[in-house]
Amino acid sequence: MDGFTCNLKACRVLRGLTQGELAERVGVRRETIMRLEKAQYNPSLKLAVDISREVGVPIEEIFVFE
Amino acid sequence: MDTEKKSAFRFPRWLGLVAGGAACAALTGAAAWYDLTYNGGRLVYPMHSYAFVPTDIPVLLAVGLDVLYVLYLAFLVVRNARAQKERVAKTGRTRRLSPKLGFLGFCGFLGFAGFWTYGALRDLTGFIFFAFFGFFGFFFEGKMSNTLMDERYRENAVRAELKALRTGFAIIFVLLIFTGQAGRLTSELVAPILIAGIALTVALTMFLSEYLLYRYDHDDAAAMEEE
Repeated sequence: MDGFTCNLKACRVLRGLTQGELAERVGVRRETIMRLEKAQYNPSLKLAVDISREVGVPIEEIFVFE
Repeated sequence: MDTEKKSAFRFPRWLGLVAGGAACAALTGAAAWYDLTYNGGRLVYPMHSYAFVPTDIPVLLAVGLDVLYVLYLAFLVVRNARAQKERVAKTGRTRRLSPKLGFLGFCGFLGFAGFWTYGALRDLTGFIFFAFFGFFGFFFEGKMSNTLMDERYRENAVRAELKALRTGFAIIFVLLIFTGQAGRLTSELVAPILIAGIALTVALTMFLSEYLLYRYDHDDAAAMEEE
């Protein structure tokens, strides 16, 4: 997606979580986390907030829109 | 040990259903033979009005059994659909389905029988079977069986359904314009073209919504490039 960068992978690894674990905690599929990390999917506000809480990083640092 | 194994063995349900169907078909065949041989074929050949005669009982019993069997099958289908629906609502996962059910799509070829029934009996019902081509969609639905329906899945499902419905409506619109050319088409041709066309469009819409959902879910990047 143009103008969309996702730093989720770095944040997740820093937190010591696998894709599967994070997916289970936020209630989505592992494939969705994978797409998010590749910046191929634009998440809903709820999912973004859930992910931000799980990895302990503010939303604007995980999802960057130019 | 053997006794335990024997008691643990369960007769497969589908085998029971197939055996039941075969028994019904055999009984109907035997009843038709009886009717032709001993009852003057009263219930085999078309009749204008019916008056009960005791010798009709074997045929009536066989037909009654057929009806009961079909009703039982319908009951099983409805019960299974309801159980699946409850499970989907409870677990948030797609229904469990075998991709092999996609082979049911071949039933769509029964639609070609419509050409014969329309030619011989002026009956359009056969064309409706073209809609069964839509069952090919079970192949893709089965591939996504028991998938967690997260927000990306739901978004893709809506996208796929919208595109399938738009395609269907566009085809029906073109079909209407085409069949509306009353001067060029005889009224005898309009009905079969419309019925067959609408049945095929329904099939395409059913198939497309499942196919596109699978494609969007597994090939998001390519789908986005296309859009």
